[in-house]
Amino acid sequence: MARATSAISRAKPATTAGTSQSEYLDSSEKELLDCLRAGDNGCYEILVRRFGPQVLATAKRYLRSDADAADCFQDTFLAVFKSIDKFEQRSTIGTWLRGITINQCLMRIRAQGRRQEDSIEHLLPVFDEKGNRMDSCSSNGSCQIDELLDTAQMKQLVREKILELPDTSRVMLLLRDIDGYSTKEAATILGISVTAAKTRLHRSRTALGALLKPEMERLKYHADV
Amino acid sequence: MLTCKEFDDFMVDYLEQGLPVWRNFMCWLHVKMCRECADFVRDYKRAVKLGQIAFDSPDEPVPDFVPEELIKAALSHRRSN
Ligand SMILES: [Zn+2]
Repeated sequence: MARATSAISRAKPATTAGTSQSEYLDSSEKELLDCLRAGDNGCYEILVRRFGPQVLATAKRYLRSDADAADCFQDTFLAVFKSIDKFEQRSTIGTWLRGITINQCLMRIRAQGRRQEDSIEHLLPVFDEKGNRMDSCSSNGSCQIDELLDTAQMKQLVREKILELPDTSRVMLLLRDIDGYSTKEAATILGISVTAAKTRLHRSRTALGALLKPEMERLKYHADV
Repeated sequence: MLTCKEFDDFMVDYLEQGLPVWRNFMCWLHVKMCRECADFVRDYKRAVKLGQIAFDSPDEPVPDFVPEELIKAALSHRRSN
């Protein structure tokens, strides 16, 4: 647990790199931070109401059930209340909160134990003895053009496919491609080598691609525009 | 020329432009010459982009609704700790 906390505090999203401390908080965030550090109950409520939607959305990305996401919401704000004095202002409050939320999610996933994860081997490319790619599964062109999905349907479908990935793959994909951590930062958070993180990321993306492939004809419009 | 398997091994670094110049060129050449890998890269990039669109950017405003009881619980949680 402690390792995860310190790892996530070391691994900042790439968007926050290379700026001096004072540049992250605007005047309203500085004001809020001062107020929080003074222990003002009203300011805690402002914090929860302003950042609650973001915290809950992040928790729902990482955790499979709404009940777990709700518990994570509580744990995140409790952790924030306890550590507000340690916030070093090297990111915005929102970025800092996202790191704490993800950390709480990862602790929860780990605490649920390493369940036997489904293999994704069947979703990975197959190569012949000479190293040539063999087309393992294909249904390209199977959908009619009039079956195009609107944005809301597309988002729902892609989210469902990401949820089909085992936790190990899903978390890697979320950290790197959705929450914007670099591969190195994601490796630090997960306590694995950069090489292992790259392999895991590649397998996760490949597996997602294979899961989406049967639907790609109706989805590609959203990705190509 | 690289084999498809070798190209696959370099793909993450290739797409992040993290390869030495010569190896990067070999990967680029492989994609130009190999229809299967070109298709694979195209679908792979689409999958990444669709994932990002599906969750929007974390920095965007989140239109998610937080139940009032969850907010109240978080605040009372704090007071009791
Ligand atoms: Zn190839």
